[in-house]
Amino acid sequence: MPESLFDRLAVGQTAPIVTEPVTLVIFGGVGDLAHRKLLPALYNLHLDGLLPPRFAAVGVGRKVLSDESYRDFAKDGVTEFSRRPFDGAAWQRFAETLFFVNASIEEGGTLAPLGARLDILEHDRGLPGSRIYYLAVPPSLFVPTVKQLAAAGLLARPSTSSRRQEPVTTETDAPPFPRLIVEKPIGRDLASACAINDAIAEVFSERQIYRIDHYLGKETVQNILVLRFANSIFEPLFNQKYIDHVQITVAEEEGVGTRAGYYEQAGALRDMVQNHLLQLLALVTMEPPYSLDADVIRDEKLEVLRSLQPIDRTAVVKQVVRAQYAAGYEIGAAVPGYRDEPGVAKDSRTETFVALKAFIDNWRWAGVPFFLRTGKRLPKRASEISIHLKEVPPILFNRTPPGSLDPNVLSIRIQPDEGFALTISSKVPGPRVRIYPVKMDFRYSSTFGATSPEAYERLLLDVMAGDATLFMRRDAVETAWRWVRPILEAWSEQADAPLPTYAAGEWGPIEADRLIESTGRQWRQP
Amino acid sequence: MATAVADRTWRDSSPETIEADLAALWIDLARQAPVVRALMANLVIFRERPAGERIDLSAPIDDVPVDEVSRLHPSRVILLHHARGAREARSPIAAAIGAFTFGPPRARYGVEQIALRSTCAEASLPSIVRRLTLGDLPTSLWWADDLSQAAPVAALVAMARQLVYDSRRWHDVREGVLALAPLLAGERETDLVDLNWRRLTPLRQAILHAVGSARPTADMKLAGGRIRHRPGDDALAWLFAGWLSSRLESTSDPRAPLLMEEAPGGDDILTVSFSDAFITATMNEHRVIVSSQDDVAPFVTAAPRETEAEAVASELRSLTPDVCLRDTLLALSRRFSSG
Repeated sequence: MPESLFDRLAVGQTAPIVTEPVTLVIFGGVGDLAHRKLLPALYNLHLDGLLPPRFAAVGVGRKVLSDESYRDFAKDGVTEFSRRPFDGAAWQRFAETLFFVNASIEEGGTLAPLGARLDILEHDRGLPGSRIYYLAVPPSLFVPTVKQLAAAGLLARPSTSSRRQEPVTTETDAPPFPRLIVEKPIGRDLASACAINDAIAEVFSERQIYRIDHYLGKETVQNILVLRFANSIFEPLFNQKYIDHVQITVAEEEGVGTRAGYYEQAGALRDMVQNHLLQLLALVTMEPPYSLDADVIRDEKLEVLRSLQPIDRTAVVKQVVRAQYAAGYEIGAAVPGYRDEPGVAKDSRTETFVALKAFIDNWRWAGVPFFLRTGKRLPKRASEISIHLKEVPPILFNRTPPGSLDPNVLSIRIQPDEGFALTISSKVPGPRVRIYPVKMDFRYSSTFGATSPEAYERLLLDVMAGDATLFMRRDAVETAWRWVRPILEAWSEQADAPLPTYAAGEWGPIEADRLIESTGRQWRQP
Repeated sequence: MATAVADRTWRDSSPETIEADLAALWIDLARQAPVVRALMANLVIFRERPAGERIDLSAPIDDVPVDEVSRLHPSRVILLHHARGAREARSPIAAAIGAFTFGPPRARYGVEQIALRSTCAEASLPSIVRRLTLGDLPTSLWWADDLSQAAPVAALVAMARQLVYDSRRWHDVREGVLALAPLLAGERETDLVDLNWRRLTPLRQAILHAVGSARPTADMKLAGGRIRHRPGDDALAWLFAGWLSSRLESTSDPRAPLLMEEAPGGDDILTVSFSDAFITATMNEHRVIVSSQDDVAPFVTAAPRETEAEAVASELRSLTPDVCLRDTLLALSRRFSSG
């Protein structure tokens, strides 16, 4: 069969990142997420030449702003939060793509004015009507917004303009599409997650929905698959025969800050464990996918989530620790306890810390404990996965306690100081046999020099390119909720049980130490 | 020994931005020439400084060989210049970061230093240090001050795997031992490292050898002895006495009088003689000589010569707790506690 012209030209070429001309509509366009993350991410994509040549970003919000005012708002965000310095010339071209529309979902308004403005913009800018709707709004507005989009007829749209004729190498002739980006949390339990997913599914097909877990956009998280499946040294060891246990820590230094309204309803289990930590767990433990196709990878991750050993209500006390931060110190200064934070109830039982022990009931990981830990007001901001290999036999160099050797540990640092390290035992130079744990360390910053793209840059680009690999599928979200459900139920039944506390600036409560120390292991501090 | 620092770069920083500033510093250094960021451990160095004293955080410290230790045992050095006695919890008032590079241009490696000036309540000190230590590296605390004058901050000690100090700096041996007593009684073991105790190693080994080589006698005891020490080496003498006491409790009366006397003049650091065992051991800067009344020639062993930096680096590389030192301090602690 003769090769096509495309096949022949493609030899030796890397595939281009194909991004369609698109209109990005950001609900919550003047919110914190847009200011700190989304607009700076778009600016950096613009600097990298990765935005489609024809592009518009439209902020939507309750405020009444002109396009110029919105550009000023975006400029502030870019100046303060962009990973690369502000460039006046580049900014001018980028700013021309920014617009603002006033609309309010909460107050029963319609999105018809938005539709009219989008039509005009797309016509003027030669955009085909492909739209990405980004729900950077509170979860309570997910469903109303989607319903309003449908009611206003903003989804199934024909092209409203003729394409310009200049050659654009990264565009295709695909028909206009609607896509939806949903920020976590998707619900606050299994029932509400299903309700949200059902409501969205009435309007968008699953292939059009991109559920963001921004952790999955981080370079180091993406590197987990490369580390495992592009190196022959690690993967043969990733199983119960060689791995003693795995720890996943996502530590935040900040307190609840201005998010008390949300956090009081969520807590650490819903806010972090159900999504970020379980996604990291799935990436580290999944079976090798047979291809890098989005659904193939997501199928394998789903298998892990389904293999998680259920923690039934009676086991929650033994396997899960929750706690709340009390007054303590941050970088030497006194900070208040959670219940003294603005907006937090004085008798709040919302957990700011969770540590748990989990098992994966499959052939590869049977019997290997996974210790997951997350919390606010911990000593430092750090996210890390550490894979602890089994000890060498107690002979030769590991013979006499207390001189036992430190086991090998492969640690994957997700943030900050992205990279990974392997600790190995080495002889200290000299006539005697003395052994010291040395570290083979890889750091993105010093190895590749430039700063890594922010997670939102990668994720926004992927949505534009239609690549759903780094996004959560409905079945994974609901499986994760199903797994944490007994924990939530057990906690709700223990309304009178004392809630452990930990001093701000400490690595969690003593109960968390006991959880792991009862197995003869210790938390590893990032 | 001269410090072989090829380059020394310091920048002002703030307590909140130390990590980001360090990352930027390393990127800048790498742009100039390839450099490997070497990290074997966290080394926290505590120095008490009066509250009003002005401190140049980037200046080398005269009496603590930080750079040389860093070169020998590449560590993230966290230098804490702390004014004790404050009751308020507050952030450090100044911070600076530095990178020292060593070695030839084609094999350059570097270590990083963080210097902080703090005047806060001791309870809040761990929150300053904890966020700067790298959790996957052993953490050692080097107490560069005389801990017989002010006990080490317990909360800092609890963070460390090792506490390094030098009893030669002690003005009061009894107070020094009693300052360490809480660490000996605690549930969690901290590996204590006394640089002065390290100097005693050849003497202990020589005596062990002499006793092992002697004609065995049923009533051989190392009791009723006399310890003469050079001025300023009373801590060393007491460590020796404590070691004997801890090891011979079952065979000797721990309260048996060990005469301790200062011997001005001469090269000998320590001379120990036991009338019962007819053994005399003498240690000077170069060697240890053990003689007995047997017909055999004296046993002579060399005393290793090392700088303070070499001693510290060697101890930092040893992660096995020193059971002997612990027992010695326990014995001394019991002795001093009972008056």
